[in-house]
Amino acid sequence: MSMSSSPRPSKFLFAAFVMTLVFGAATFGNLPGPVTSTGSQVVNGVVFNFADYPSLTHEQVAAFNYVRGLVNQPLERWDGWNIGSGVYYLVHYQLAFMSYAIERMFEVTSGYRTSYYSDVAYNLVKKMNTTEAEYTNASIESMEWTRPVIGYSNWTQYYYPDPIHPDANDVYTGGFRGPANIMWTGHYALMELLYERNFHNSTFYDEYSWYMQDWNNSLTTDGLGHPRASGIWECGLIPCQPYAIWVQCNTIPLYFTELYDNLHGTDWMETGMWDYGLNFIEANMTDQYGLYTDEYFVQEPMGFHQLGDGPVQEFPGKRLDPYVNDGRPLLEGYGVAWSLLFIEYTEPNVTAEDYPVFLEHYSKDISADQLCMIDTYHNPSKFDTYDMLCNLYAVALAQQMGDLVTRDRIANFIYSPYNKVWSADGRSMHWDTTAVEPFLQSSLAYGWLWATVPVSVKALADARPADFWNYPYISSADDDNIWIYQAQWDPIKQGFVLNVRVDKTATLTFSNFASEPTAYSGGYPLPPLTPVGGSDYALTLSPGTYQLVLTTGG
Amino acid sequence: MSEQVHTSSSRRLSLAQRFLIQNSNAIAWTLVTSAAGTGVFIAFSVLPEPYIMIDLFKIGLLPALAIITTAGAIRGPLAGLLTGYLGTLLYGLFAFGTVVTLSLNAVGFGIMGFVVGLGHYDFNNGRSLAKLSIVSSIGLLLATLVVVAIGLTVEVYAGLVAIGFVMLPLLTEGLPSVFLLTPLFAWAWLFLYSKILSRTG
Repeated sequence: MSMSSSPRPSKFLFAAFVMTLVFGAATFGNLPGPVTSTGSQVVNGVVFNFADYPSLTHEQVAAFNYVRGLVNQPLERWDGWNIGSGVYYLVHYQLAFMSYAIERMFEVTSGYRTSYYSDVAYNLVKKMNTTEAEYTNASIESMEWTRPVIGYSNWTQYYYPDPIHPDANDVYTGGFRGPANIMWTGHYALMELLYERNFHNSTFYDEYSWYMQDWNNSLTTDGLGHPRASGIWECGLIPCQPYAIWVQCNTIPLYFTELYDNLHGTDWMETGMWDYGLNFIEANMTDQYGLYTDEYFVQEPMGFHQLGDGPVQEFPGKRLDPYVNDGRPLLEGYGVAWSLLFIEYTEPNVTAEDYPVFLEHYSKDISADQLCMIDTYHNPSKFDTYDMLCNLYAVALAQQMGDLVTRDRIANFIYSPYNKVWSADGRSMHWDTTAVEPFLQSSLAYGWLWATVPVSVKALADARPADFWNYPYISSADDDNIWIYQAQWDPIKQGFVLNVRVDKTATLTFSNFASEPTAYSGGYPLPPLTPVGGSDYALTLSPGTYQLVLTTGG
Repeated sequence: MSEQVHTSSSRRLSLAQRFLIQNSNAIAWTLVTSAAGTGVFIAFSVLPEPYIMIDLFKIGLLPALAIITTAGAIRGPLAGLLTGYLGTLLYGLFAFGTVVTLSLNAVGFGIMGFVVGLGHYDFNNGRSLAKLSIVSSIGLLLATLVVVAIGLTVEVYAGLVAIGFVMLPLLTEGLPSVFLLTPLFAWAWLFLYSKILSRTG
């Protein structure tokens, strides 16, 4: 290699250079979204550092806007949900976890409570409760219960303990609204309860309180009017399909009970209604690592067939794993992740101990920046819907555990194979999954909130302080013109923190201020707010991004 | 680097000469190149990597991969091996606190640098740069093979994961990256190197 003359580019080099530019420009996309900027300002001698308050990112709000479009359509319409024939039985889970994801998001900006947010949460509850009588096969009752595509049909005809009810000593368990079907009743009631937690208008109080009573009846009596510590199904837990229980589905009413007590000052948890079931789980529904196992049969399903030449399935008993067919129980990683996520509030030690064990046995390293969760360590060579589900639950569990490295690695695995697609008006964004699995598209949209908003599932089990409902908040706004990144009242510093982007001139109406507030930007007052009746004051903002503090002090 | 031995002649070299570790000076330059390559690799890896999906295919450029092949082209197989191995390993440790599959993944990328380093290139010659692009692409294919094989046998992930999340992205991002960027990086290095030489005398 001669060093005597200055190197000159060859034709090949020039071609490589041009191709790199063209190729690089053509593939320039899918970069990480912008970080929400947080500054600091001094108002009347008080320092408001915006980094001290939780915030949403532009992409999180855009993903919510996409979800909003999916939800806000007539109850029987499912445009954009891409419900293929094999996934009917999963749609109600979409509604439930979409609801949990957005309710967590609403807690981040707890001072922004207009109908823009509450309508979506409300409509999700209504969509969840669509009946066959009214909406035929577009209803959740049909998709979830009367037209099951998994397991054995005829769920509506079940009794316990003898499914066909030859005498009068059995409890009818085939109803859509219970006492079994905790995989719907639990979520439906929790969606209502979270709505109450976040919007505080008693809309669903009577209905979710009925479920609280019904579950207590199921767990502490034989269902025929006699007390029994092990409940109807003699396990202290409530079945999904009439003949089987799952840990994860029971963590939903368990979590509900905690939040119900916290919201309404009751003491259901202290009555011990869940004690038998929690002990039953540890004794009968764990594997050799202490991690939760899959399905446990409380009775023999009608039409059950034993696996060919393997060990005999017992009733009651853990469902045997057909992959290994050697007497070991069936496993499902998504159930472990989901359970640990919702049980942490009640049993923090269990989640803390099991989380690293779960990662050890249910994860595969793809690369430094990608971690893939799997459905079962009995069969790591398969990859299907349930493996994907495990990733979707584990990503939120990692977030809740504060393990952000694992959270990011799983999120990279989930999201990297898809293009981000922005709407023409720039208001909403989703990941296009149509080339892989169209049904996944709605999951990944709310999944982004589920995986990344800085309020955990566990945190929502606590009620807001009683005085919260007297704090100033944004009660109405030109929501379609704004992006709310931060909005909350600081009760100690007595100021409302607002980090907002305004696309078109927008008016925000504040309620609960004791007297006319002043909005400060960079420590300097803006023109006064307009009184609009009662304790309401309107703030009009022209396009731009603002970090404002509103206070009546000084 | 006056003992530069990369020539296009076919004279036989000892193993030590071929690996550029025939004396302490050569060893030092090989290690310096590996360390610099590792640093630049990590820097490129930390930066966000734009890409687009076309159906199931991930298309984009990963400059970090071309740093491995360039290190091999500049300073021989050992420098390529070390840059690929240490770069991949240390990036995982620094950015994610993790070592993937006993660092066997990283060996795959080391092999890519090693293979490229076995060749001889004149960075000022278009034909030779084209050869570098082709050898780099062969190195990437080998790396992909090793990484997928390790994934299927040691990490034991699903075949579908191996194809969809490992093999396809590595090929569709890796091949254009090493083919296009390696000659550009190599020539840029030559250009800088000649400027430094002309200044220092």
